[in-house]
Amino acid sequence: MTGELLIILMLVPLAAGIVIAILPSREGLIKAYAALHGINVVAVLALSFAAIAGVVGSGEIATALGGWFRLDQLSCIFVGLIGFIGCMTGLYAISYIGHDVRRGAMTAGKVKQFYLFFSLFIFTMLVAALSNNIFMMWVAVEATTLSTIFLVGAYDAKPSLEAAWKYAIVCMSGVAFGLYGTVLVYANAASILPDPSQAAFWTAILPYAGQFDKLTVALAFVFVTVGFGTKAGLFPMHTWLPDAHSEAPSPVSGLLSGVLLKCAMLLIIRYYILACEALGGTFPKTIMLVIGILSVAVAALSVFSQDDIKRKLAYHSVENIGIVALFLGFGGPLGIAAALLHCVTHGLTKAFLFCLSGNVLMKYGTRDLNKMGGLIKAMPATGVLLALGFFALAGFPPFAMFVSEVSGIVAGVADGQWVVLVIFVIALTIVVAACAHVVTAAVFGKVPDHVEKGDVGFAALLPEVVLAVTLLWFGVAAPQPMLQCVEDATGIVTQSSTEALHETPVVNILFSQTDAASAGTIVER
Amino acid sequence: MNGFTLVNILGALLIVTSLYIVLERAPRKAAFGYVVQSLVLIGCFLALGVTTGSVELYEWSATAFITKVVVVPSVVIFLSKKIGDAGSDLEPRLTTTKAIVLVAAEVAVCFIAVQGINLPAAAEVKPALAISLAHFFIGLTCIVTQRNIVKQLFGYCLMENGSHLTLALLASNAPSLVEIGITTDAFFAVIILSVLVYRMHNVAHTVSADDLTELKG
Repeated sequence: MTGELLIILMLVPLAAGIVIAILPSREGLIKAYAALHGINVVAVLALSFAAIAGVVGSGEIATALGGWFRLDQLSCIFVGLIGFIGCMTGLYAISYIGHDVRRGAMTAGKVKQFYLFFSLFIFTMLVAALSNNIFMMWVAVEATTLSTIFLVGAYDAKPSLEAAWKYAIVCMSGVAFGLYGTVLVYANAASILPDPSQAAFWTAILPYAGQFDKLTVALAFVFVTVGFGTKAGLFPMHTWLPDAHSEAPSPVSGLLSGVLLKCAMLLIIRYYILACEALGGTFPKTIMLVIGILSVAVAALSVFSQDDIKRKLAYHSVENIGIVALFLGFGGPLGIAAALLHCVTHGLTKAFLFCLSGNVLMKYGTRDLNKMGGLIKAMPATGVLLALGFFALAGFPPFAMFVSEVSGIVAGVADGQWVVLVIFVIALTIVVAACAHVVTAAVFGKVPDHVEKGDVGFAALLPEVVLAVTLLWFGVAAPQPMLQCVEDATGIVTQSSTEALHETPVVNILFSQTDAASAGTIVER
Repeated sequence: MNGFTLVNILGALLIVTSLYIVLERAPRKAAFGYVVQSLVLIGCFLALGVTTGSVELYEWSATAFITKVVVVPSVVIFLSKKIGDAGSDLEPRLTTTKAIVLVAAEVAVCFIAVQGINLPAAAEVKPALAISLAHFFIGLTCIVTQRNIVKQLFGYCLMENGSHLTLALLASNAPSLVEIGITTDAFFAVIILSVLVYRMHNVAHTVSADDLTELKG
């Protein structure tokens, strides 16, 4: 049953996109586009959570179309992010785009185009996260770029098109590296597997990884890291990210940062598992460690120097995706668990903050932090939420990112990476200072003369409040099914059983809630 | 001369066509260069198909003919007509001599790199494999060194051709669906990039990458 659910899950946003595309471009249909879009994102949320519940609840992996698509506990995390953040940013988009229409920044044709590509974006991310065929993974990631180019370049303005061009050319040439790495892995697998027709399937390849040609796998891993790392926004391939995230409409920025970067990381993680099995952990861990700490360090300085709130948030994304890579570099069950948790916690936090930056843009009409004082007076709900959001992004307790960051730091200590940890902690301190600066500059201070008091509407605030509550909930007492999912996914990445994970120090504390539920379970691979 | 030797010779011809595409300033002429290159690539597929007995490669040749010989060049030529001279006067960032030296260096490095690859499929076609890898990097060079964004589009096409040849050399028995997926993706990529160039020309009145520097920091 869950197998069919996967197909329905992928078809819903595709069908919504097709229906929106078929509708004519008329001003009178703007509400119809929005309604279809709203139904689409809510349906994707419901279907994705139903599919995840099926897998997490039963412990059985769902497959579809002869194994081309597969929902295991690892992909559950990312499908969950697509469903939840897709829904929250999608619902928020209705208010945001409505505002753009009212101020004359978007015509009916542009609105239709926006909702069409938003649906296709969700569809392509779902295909990327659910794919078990390594070529399909690549095609899907490339398709995420194609479906988002006109979301980034949604406005007919030079900066918007400049950002779209840079995004397109950097990501497409970057992801081409991913194709090269994919071809190398496939060729190697086809020469080893008893049934070469299975050589494109990740689950069929993995058991034979130990027999792979080591140089080919090492080369492929580097190509894949560069390729999908470009899409993830890892340094030094991150150059497209600040432009694209800052110029895109805010809900799209939230979806790009909150989900798309993580989907690219999922693919890197798939190849990381393969490389660890083929080469041992040292090579892939070192690559992740180096690229991770460089991303964190460079981005932290850039975060501090930005005056544009969305560029600041964009560099935060580079920093945090670097943190995910760094935790993978620390390795071990705790490092892996922290990396996966950070994908969730940062995804939620960043979607939350990009939506809030949209509130500020709607009210103040600027992204310049120097021109947006007194948020707490002008728009009290947004002001309070923005302050909470930046505290969450700084990694303060009781918010969710605190849990993943501290877990990762402990993993670094366990791995003995003292020099890297010192750089990491310094970078985090810089980021905390940058977050504090936003709160003091934007939330407090004097309200500019041209800004009238009054917050954005309830429909815009509601998804943000839900995201804020989720961030607090995940920070204080993460739900057991989510922890179960992360633990099982950690087992997939480390290729070990949950029993073994429970015996690992600190990991057993992190996942203590799941002990009763899953004691003795061997993670199905 | 066996089939693999022919593939290696055709591979060398690919480099010549790539160099022409990189050096030619007028996108319309570069598009015709791309047609020639695609025909050479199809020749590689056919030669490999005959030599290895892989039926899939004949299908790849057919799809490559439609997409690479007909559709992609037509799209670029149509785009060039729509936007005037398509930035033919824009000088690349590297002189001709420097570009040739860089391409030669890339080919040399790729020849060294593939020597360590120990795959059965690669044993007879290492020169062509090195060229396919080099082709990929020449495409990247084209993107980085060109001021004209229409020419940058060709850089992506060259990278895609390099990957395509590698796929044919190392995984000629890959399911046709895989090849169709990759080709379709590249096809849509060229269309979407062309639309973006057209919008850029209409809104910002430029196709020069040097003018796209408003977003910094």
